Amino acid sequence: MAEVTLNFPRRDARDKLRGRTRYTIDRDVSGVLHAALLRAPVPSARILRIDTAAARAMPGVRAVVTAEHAPGRHGIGIADHPLFAAGRVRYHGEPMAAVAADTLAQAQAAAAAIVVELEPLPAVITMAEALGPSASLVHPDWRDYEVLVEGGAHGGNVAWEATVLRGDPEAAFARADVTVVESLFRVGRQNHLSFEPRAAIAAFEDGRCHIETSTQAPWTVRNVTAHLLDVLPSAVRVTVPAVGGGFGLKFDCALEPYAALLARHAEAPVRLVNSRQEEMLTCLSRENAEIRIRSAVTKDGEIAGREAVVLMDCGAYGGEQIFLTTMTAHTLGGNYKLGSVRLASRAVYTNTAPNGAFRACNGTYNTFALERHTDEICEAIGMDPLEFRRRNVLGDGNLGATGQIFEGDVLGPMLDRMAGLRAARPSKQAQAGDRLYGRATTVGTWFVFVGPSAATVNLNADGSATLVTSGVEIGSGSMMQGLPQIVAHTLGLKPQDVVVRAADTDAGGYDVGVGGGRTTVSLGAASMAAASEVRRKLLDVASGMLQTPPEGLTLANGRVEIAGRPGTGASIAEVAVQAQKLVGPIAGSGSFTGPGVAAMPGCAAGHFIDALDIPVFAVHECEVAVDPDTGHVEVLSYAVVQDVGRALNPRAIYGQIQGGVTQGLGYALHEEISIGADGSIRQSGFETYRVPLAQDVVPVEISLFEGAPSIGPLGTKGAGEVPILNVAAAIACAVANATGRRVQELPLTPPRVLELLLGRGLPLDFPHIATAWDDNLLRPLAAASWQGRRMAGPDAPGP
Amino acid sequence: MALLLTVNGEDRTSGHGAMTPLVDVLRDEFHLKGAKPVCREGFCGACTVLLDDHPVMACLLPAGLAVGARIRTVESLAPDGALSPLQQVMEEHDVVQCGMCFPGMLMSLSGFLAVTPRPTRDEVKAALSGNVCRCTGYERIIDAVLSL
Repeated sequence: MAEVTLNFPRRDARDKLRGRTRYTIDRDVSGVLHAALLRAPVPSARILRIDTAAARAMPGVRAVVTAEHAPGRHGIGIADHPLFAAGRVRYHGEPMAAVAADTLAQAQAAAAAIVVELEPLPAVITMAEALGPSASLVHPDWRDYEVLVEGGAHGGNVAWEATVLRGDPEAAFARADVTVVESLFRVGRQNHLSFEPRAAIAAFEDGRCHIETSTQAPWTVRNVTAHLLDVLPSAVRVTVPAVGGGFGLKFDCALEPYAALLARHAEAPVRLVNSRQEEMLTCLSRENAEIRIRSAVTKDGEIAGREAVVLMDCGAYGGEQIFLTTMTAHTLGGNYKLGSVRLASRAVYTNTAPNGAFRACNGTYNTFALERHTDEICEAIGMDPLEFRRRNVLGDGNLGATGQIFEGDVLGPMLDRMAGLRAARPSKQAQAGDRLYGRATTVGTWFVFVGPSAATVNLNADGSATLVTSGVEIGSGSMMQGLPQIVAHTLGLKPQDVVVRAADTDAGGYDVGVGGGRTTVSLGAASMAAASEVRRKLLDVASGMLQTPPEGLTLANGRVEIAGRPGTGASIAEVAVQAQKLVGPIAGSGSFTGPGVAAMPGCAAGHFIDALDIPVFAVHECEVAVDPDTGHVEVLSYAVVQDVGRALNPRAIYGQIQGGVTQGLGYALHEEISIGADGSIRQSGFETYRVPLAQDVVPVEISLFEGAPSIGPLGTKGAGEVPILNVAAAIACAVANATGRRVQELPLTPPRVLELLLGRGLPLDFPHIATAWDDNLLRPLAAASWQGRRMAGPDAPGP
Repeated sequence: MALLLTVNGEDRTSGHGAMTPLVDVLRDEFHLKGAKPVCREGFCGACTVLLDDHPVMACLLPAGLAVGARIRTVESLAPDGALSPLQQVMEEHDVVQCGMCFPGMLMSLSGFLAVTPRPTRDEVKAALSGNVCRCTGYERIIDAVLSL
C-alpha cells in the first residue's frame, strides 16, 4: 500500500484564519425567529401555575411552549429528564418555558412576562445533603421512570451505582503483613468554556425537522429530539457546520429540542443560542466528586487489596454521570496490578445544574486521587514513588480491575522513556529561588471509546474520492487530517484528493459521536473498510483494462500500476471513468464497532463497558515552585510521554497535548466553580471563572510513545482526549512534594495552598461515605462476591 | 441617525443606534462574522478588532465611538486571498484547532507586531494576555509568531 502522508495540513485552517468559517452561531437563515428560555430562579419548587397568556400577546411573539407541549423524558440509563420542568423544579436554571419571537429582545421580554407561581421545596445542594439520613428526594417518583439500560442499582438520590469486585479484598485487608493506607479526596466542577456556546437552528422542511447545530453527537441529537417531539427519528435531520469547541460539552442533546419544538409551533425557522451566562449557569460541567480509597500494601510494595467509594454529582438529572460510573473501574482501578479490588461508583442526584461529559471524564479526578493515594502509600511504607510505580504498573498479561487481561508492556517502558527525558535536561529547581520546590511523576490509564461508526466512500470520475460519515470537526483535526489520510492511504490517492462531507444524518450512517478519542479509530476504521471495498472494485476494473490480475497491481500517487513496471498502468481517474461505463460508479461502504474485550465474568455490575477495547496510557512529570507567602503555584516544567499507538500527525498531536495539558493546569490550579446556598453556580463568566492565559502556561516537552497494541486503523489510538488525564495528578503530587502537606482537594488556588501551608484547613470528613465498604451499597454483593472470589481462585485466567 | 463607519478601508453606513456594540454592527449588518461575541464582557478577546491600529474589544465599544476611526477586522488581513505573513505561519505550524479565538488573536498580534516587529517570547505572551484560547495552550502559537 501507499505510504501514509504524515503531518497533512488541515484544510479548514485557512478559512478559520480569515474569519470566513461559519459556525452555527454565524449562520444566517432567512426569516429566522429568535428564541429565549425562561429558567427557574430556585433550586427546588413545586410549580403551581405557569400562565403564558400575557407573553403570547406581546409584540413579535410567534410561539410559547412549556412542559405540556413535550411531556416525554429522556436520559442515559434512566429516562429521568423532561425537556421542561414538569410539576417540579429540580435545579436553578432549569428551563420552564421557551419563546420564539421576531427579535431576541422580544423573545426575552416575553419570557420575562410569563407568570410562574412556585412553592419552594427543600433542596439538597451537596452530595452530603443528598445522602443524609433525612434527605429530600430530587426525584420522588424515581421508581416510575423507564429504565433504559438494565444492571445498575438505583434508588432515592442515587441515580446509578456501578460496582466491581475481584478477588477477596476482605482477606487482603486482614492480612498480617500489610500496611493499610486510607485517603480522602474532593474535587469541584470544571466548565468546558468552549468558545462557541451551545446553539441550534431548527426548521421544518417537507414535514421533517432539519436542525443545524453545534454538537459532537448528531445522531444523539436526532434520536433525543425525535423522542421529545414524539416523531419518528427518521423525521429529524441533523447537520453540523464547524464546531467552535466541544471538549465533551456537546456530546449530548442540548438546545436542539427547544428550537425544534418552537419551530413546529411557530411554523418558521427558530434560532436558539445560549448566552455566556446561561452557559456558565447550566454547563454540563465535569462533575464534582468525593472519593475514599484504601489499600492494603506489603512492605515490598505489592498491592494486595484495594477498595474505594467514588461519589459523582450528576446534578438534577442522571445524564452522562450514569454512564461514567463505569469509568471508575478503569481509572481509579487502573494503572496498577491489584491482588484484589472492590469499587463502588455512585452517581448522586442533587438540586443543582446537571453535569456532563468533559475530556477524560471521571479520569482526571480519579487519576488525581489514585496518584496522590499512591504517593501516600509510598510515604507509609517508605518506598520511592518512582520505584513503586516501576514495580506495580500494569504490564503484559496483568489483570485489570474487572479482570480484563492487558496486552503488552506499555507503562513500564513509558516510565523509562520519561527517565530518559529527565536525565537529558537540567532541573529547573534553581528557578524556584526561595520558594518551595517540588516535582512528581504520575501515570494514567484511559481508553478509546470505540463503538459503532459508518462510512461511505464514492470514487469520482476525476480521480477524487468523497468520504461521507456523521463525523464532526470540533477542532481536533481528526476529520480534516486523519480520515482523509486513511482513505488516501488505502486508495493510493493524495489526502487532498479526498473530500470529507460535513456531518449530515441524512447522508452518513449511525455514529456514536465525536468524543472519547474515537474519531480516528472508529470513524477511521469504518472509512478504511469503505475505502477497501472501493479499492477492490477499482482493481477489478483496472485488471481488465491492464490485462493483469488484481493482485499484480499496485495503487499509489493517483495511479494503478502493474507491479514492478511503473508507468505502464493508468490513472485512477481513467479507471473510474472506465468503471462508470462498464459497471457504474464505484462506491464502498464500511462499518466498525468495538470488538468487546472480555472482562472476568461476575466482576463488574452496572457497567456500560466491562473492559477496555483500546487502553491508552500516559506518563506526566512536572516541577513546581510554591510561594510560601502567597500560596501561588508556578509550574516550572512539564513533560508528557503519551501512548499514541501510531502518530499520523505528530504536529497535530503536539497541539492536542499542549492544549490538553493547559486545560488540565486550569483544572488543577484555578478553574473553580462554587455553588451558592440557592443552588446557583456563582461563576457567571470569564471574569470569575479563571481559565489559563498565555502567561500561565509553559511549553510542554513531549515524547510520543508508538508501537503499543491497538486495533485502530494503521495502529492508531485516539490522542486528543488523554492529554488532560493526569495533569491534576501531577500538579497535586508535586505540590504535596514541595510543601510536605497532604493535598486532598482541587483546584490548588492560592488560598487553598496557603491553608495547607498554615495547617488551617479542616481535614476532609465524609460522613456520607460509610467506613465499611459494603455498607455503601444499595444492592448487596453477596452473590457477585461469591462468584468473584471463585473466579479469582486457582481457575482464574492470567497471572 | 445613521452612523458612518470606515471598515477595512471602505465607508459603510450603519442603521444601528450609536450605543449598539460594534461587534453586532460588524456581524449582523455588515456580515463580517470573523469577530466572535464569546463573552460579551471584554474578557476573552475573541471580538478584537483594530481601531486606528489599536486592538479593542468590539463587544464593549459602542459603534458611535468608532465613527471617524479606521476599523480593521480579520477579514482585512488577506484581502485577495493571499494570507498575511502572520496567518501564513499559523497555517504552516498547524496551530489552528476550533478556530474561534483566532480572529481576535490575529488582530491583537497584528496590532502588536506593527509596533514590535522583533518581539521576545515574553513580549508575545504579554501581548496575548487579553486573548483566551481554550484549545491550543498558546505555546505553539507563540512559536509560530516568533518564527516570523
